[in-house]
Order: sequence, then C-alpha cells, then structure tokens
Amino acid sequence: MRRYALLPCNGLDKAAGPLTRELALSLMAAGAGEIICPVLSRRAPARYAKLASELPVFAIDGCATRCASRLAGDLRWKVERRLQIAEEAKAAAIALEDSLIPGPVGLALCQKLATTLLADEEAKAPAPAAGGTEADFTTPVEYASFTHDKFLFRVPKEGYFFNENDCWVRVSGNRARVGISDYMQQNLSDLLFCTPAEVGTKIEQFGEAATLESTKAVYELVSPVSGKVVAVNTEAVDNPEIVNQDPYERGWIVELELSDFASERDLLLDGEQYLNLVKKKVAEFRP
Amino acid sequence: MSETTFMGVPREQIPWAPTIDYSKCSFCMECDKFCPHQVFERREGEVKLVVAHPTNCVVFCRACSKTCGPDALSFPDKQETFKIIKSLREKAEAQP
Repeated sequence: MRRYALLPCNGLDKAAGPLTRELALSLMAAGAGEIICPVLSRRAPARYAKLASELPVFAIDGCATRCASRLAGDLRWKVERRLQIAEEAKAAAIALEDSLIPGPVGLALCQKLATTLLADEEAKAPAPAAGGTEADFTTPVEYASFTHDKFLFRVPKEGYFFNENDCWVRVSGNRARVGISDYMQQNLSDLLFCTPAEVGTKIEQFGEAATLESTKAVYELVSPVSGKVVAVNTEAVDNPEIVNQDPYERGWIVELELSDFASERDLLLDGEQYLNLVKKKVAEFRP
Repeated sequence: MSETTFMGVPREQIPWAPTIDYSKCSFCMECDKFCPHQVFERREGEVKLVVAHPTNCVVFCRACSKTCGPDALSFPDKQETFKIIKSLREKAEAQP
C-alpha cells in the first residue's frame, strides 16, 4: 500500500475540522502513513520537512478554506492527494453534527472515507492513459497573439472553439479535448492543483469539467461542450504548471466523447472571435 | 466596466449571481477579497456584506463559493440558466 504524509487541517472552527484529525488517525492506524501536525509544522517546519519530502503529502481539509492545502503550499510541499470533509459530506448527502466534538454521523463518514481510500489504494491501477484511441490532437497549432503592457496573450488561429468563460475545446472526430485559455492561465497565475472530473463522468455543456487552484484563486473549468470523460491529462494533474506553460496543447485537462457538438458549436466562439473578446477583457481588467 | 452581454444576450437579462445565506455567513470576506468583479460590497452594521452588483458576476462562474468556508454562497442551477440564455438568443434571432 502506498504510504502518505497525512496532513489534516485539525481545525476547531467548524465541525468538519476535528473530523480531519479522525480520518488521518484512521488512515495512520491502517498503515497508510504518518501524520504531520499542522500546528507544529507551522511553528517548526523543519520537524516535518524530511517526512514531507519522502512521502507523498495527503492534505485533508475540513472546509473550503482549505487550511491544510494552503499550509502545504506555504511550506512548498507538493500535495499529491487531497480530500475535503465538507465536500465529501455534501456529495454523500450527509448532514454533519453541528458540534466540534465528533458525533456518530461524522465519525461514520470518516470511517467510510478511510475504508474507501484504503480500498482505492489497494486496487489502484495505473492512471488512465492520456489520449484517445481514434482521435488525433497532434496537428501543429498556429497562434495569433497580442500584447498588453508586458503580457503576451496567445490564441490558436484554427481548430479551437471557446466559451466566454475562457475555456477551449479542440475536436477530433467524436473526441474533444478541453482546457483553459492562455488569458485565463495568466489570470490565475501559478497553478498548484488540477482536479479533473473522473473518467466516466457525464458533463453537460457549461458544466464543471475540472477545478483548478492557483496561488491566487480557485477556478472552475466550464466545459464548452457536453460529453463523457474518457481520459484525463495525468501529466497536468501531476504537474499543473504545464497548464501555465502550454495551455492549449500539453496542458489539456480532460478528453470527452462528444454528444452533440454540431448544435453546441453555435454557442461557441472561434479563435478570431475569442481573441477580440480577450482584447476587450484585458482592456477592462482591473486587478 | 463589466461586460454588457454574455453569449450575445444582455447581461441584465441573465439571472446569475451568488446568494448569501446569512445564517451561515461569518463575514470573513474571503469571497469579496477573491472576486475581481466587485460583485459584493461591504456594509456597516449587522449585515456586513451584500451582493450589490449581481450583473457584474461572470455567468457560470462559481469560484467565490469555493473560497467560502461556511458554505454560505449558492448559485442558480447552471442548466436552468443555460436554458434561459438559449431561449433569449432564439427570441433575439426571431426578431426582424
């Protein structure tokens, strides 16, 4: 079994905080790793530097404030796995007890999460391969660009379509790759986490295809097209900085099997239209 | 100035903006600090934050809710909003 450096937020502000501790303890007891004390690591980071470099860091957050993830980011620890208790409770339609003392519902959720995580680790097959079967996304891309102050913004001239949420789609046959534009990656700045929808998920047009988190913001990738996720870019998950470096090619996020591109296309912009929109956005941008 | 249209539809006709659940909001202001579009506005008094400029909100963007620890921000249903946009576009196209 893969072992982790388990970093719970161990918060005492909301009910989900203390549950991160319970989950981390359950995982540790099952042999899934060692715990990093978030308080001590803030006070004396050297205490856990070795552990965080030897084992992959697993950040366990209570709520959307994501104190554990942010702490890891502050300490420059690379987080390889993350979980948020409030999100998990919501997904499972569970109402946690409104108490800082873990109650039966919260503890049962932790137990269930620990069991699932451990089973998942046991069964972990190699990550889904990037790239589709019959699709070809290797055609060289020609870019148009414009500059504003010291910033250069690129947009592919052909073969890509965009929504007004700064996400693109590149189509090949009945497959499509989806990602974020150069303008958006510069807006977000250095990406720390890329969490795509899981393979097999059905996404509606303008539904959420991924969550991207940078040093500045959390961003929802709004899918320009509908379809079923058939692959995710594991390279972008492992090294989100490639989305900053090459947002239109290597930095794709998910690959979809299209469901109705012919009609959805009417709601999207082509490269030239999107370039004009970016120019407008840049002109109006107020940091 | 914010964009005046989204997908060719006047922005003010699209009902997309966050709603604050004041029973959960702790007024930590994380959402306001995060949002670059001045959707929120801080106030004096008991209610310290309001959605003052809903049409500044980027349609389909829910990023501020992901910064909200107490989970106090909600948004309209995306697919419902999408249907409204589509029907407004069809209406506009049908006009001479």
